[in-house]
Amino acid sequence: MITLNVNGKSHELDVSPEMPLLWALRDRLNLTGTKFGCGRAMCGACTVHINGQAARSCSIMVGEAAGKTITTIEAVSGKVAEAVTTAWQKLDVVQCGYCQSGQIMSAITLLNGNKTPTDEDIDLSMEGNICRCATYVRIRHAIHEAAKSLA
Amino acid sequence: MRNSESRVRQISFAAIAIFAIIAIAPRSISAEGGEPSRADKAASLAAWFKIATVLQNPRCLNCHQLTSPLQGDSRRTHVPRVVRGPDGQGVGAMRCGNCHNDMGNNPTSGTPGGLHWQLAPVSMLWQGLSAAELCRSVKDPKLNGNRDGEALIKHMEDEPLVLYGWNPGKGRTPVPVSHEKTVEYMKVWVAGGMACPN
Repeated sequence: MITLNVNGKSHELDVSPEMPLLWALRDRLNLTGTKFGCGRAMCGACTVHINGQAARSCSIMVGEAAGKTITTIEAVSGKVAEAVTTAWQKLDVVQCGYCQSGQIMSAITLLNGNKTPTDEDIDLSMEGNICRCATYVRIRHAIHEAAKSLA
Repeated sequence: MRNSESRVRQISFAAIAIFAIIAIAPRSISAEGGEPSRADKAASLAAWFKIATVLQNPRCLNCHQLTSPLQGDSRRTHVPRVVRGPDGQGVGAMRCGNCHNDMGNNPTSGTPGGLHWQLAPVSMLWQGLSAAELCRSVKDPKLNGNRDGEALIKHMEDEPLVLYGWNPGKGRTPVPVSHEKTVEYMKVWVAGGMACPN
């Protein structure tokens, strides 16, 4: 039995410790805001927060995440999260939306650690999140916008 | 590498003869004090060439890099792009632990893992070093985390990220020299005074 703390609630799951966290979140806990994109830590669609830090839930195993604080897109909150989602809406960043949960989670982690990111900081932190609709330009603007609003 | 390879052949033949002699004759040195015998020094040098092939293997060399780790047997650029950062564990939302599990390899995603996954310290940068330069670097306490011979042996025996090299997960070739043999070579190398090629 593995105990996962997700969005403030404790869940007991009878699963192998090697199960990707993503599967537990989507299939067992019905938290489908986090997406499966590649399953190989190469696209970032599966990004959640573990102890406040961006993590690829397709790659992080349930056994690894047990005992830690897991937050998904459904429940992420706080000043930085608000600034990011507000900027995302204001600048109409989203096209199809599939990558955006992951993009937002990574952006929040970036801004949590660095309130005034340069373009290079943005490149380095957002490198792992791919967007097939190529909303990258708007993502970058939205991160700068969110940073401004947090200043 | 070319120099080292022909050297390895030459020294291997000598080493085989010497190992045979050592197997029969009693050892003449102790770990503390006592100058190693010529035979022990020669064995030490021969052992070093074996150890060098381990350290220059992709499983080790891929993370003994300056800015970015390499991936796979083909040593390609790590995708997605990651950089060392101030503590060797990545930057921003791209920290090593964000994808790599402390508990080990993920068989589903194919991501390798191990305790405290990170780049090796900058002082242990091995890319482009010859067997001789590598030898001098590994035994220098200023570069190797202040380790003496015994500590170096222990490092090869126990360190989780070192052990990873022999259990790297599917699609990655483990270090071709067994862990047991590698530790043996380390002991011969240290016992003979950590001889380095010129």
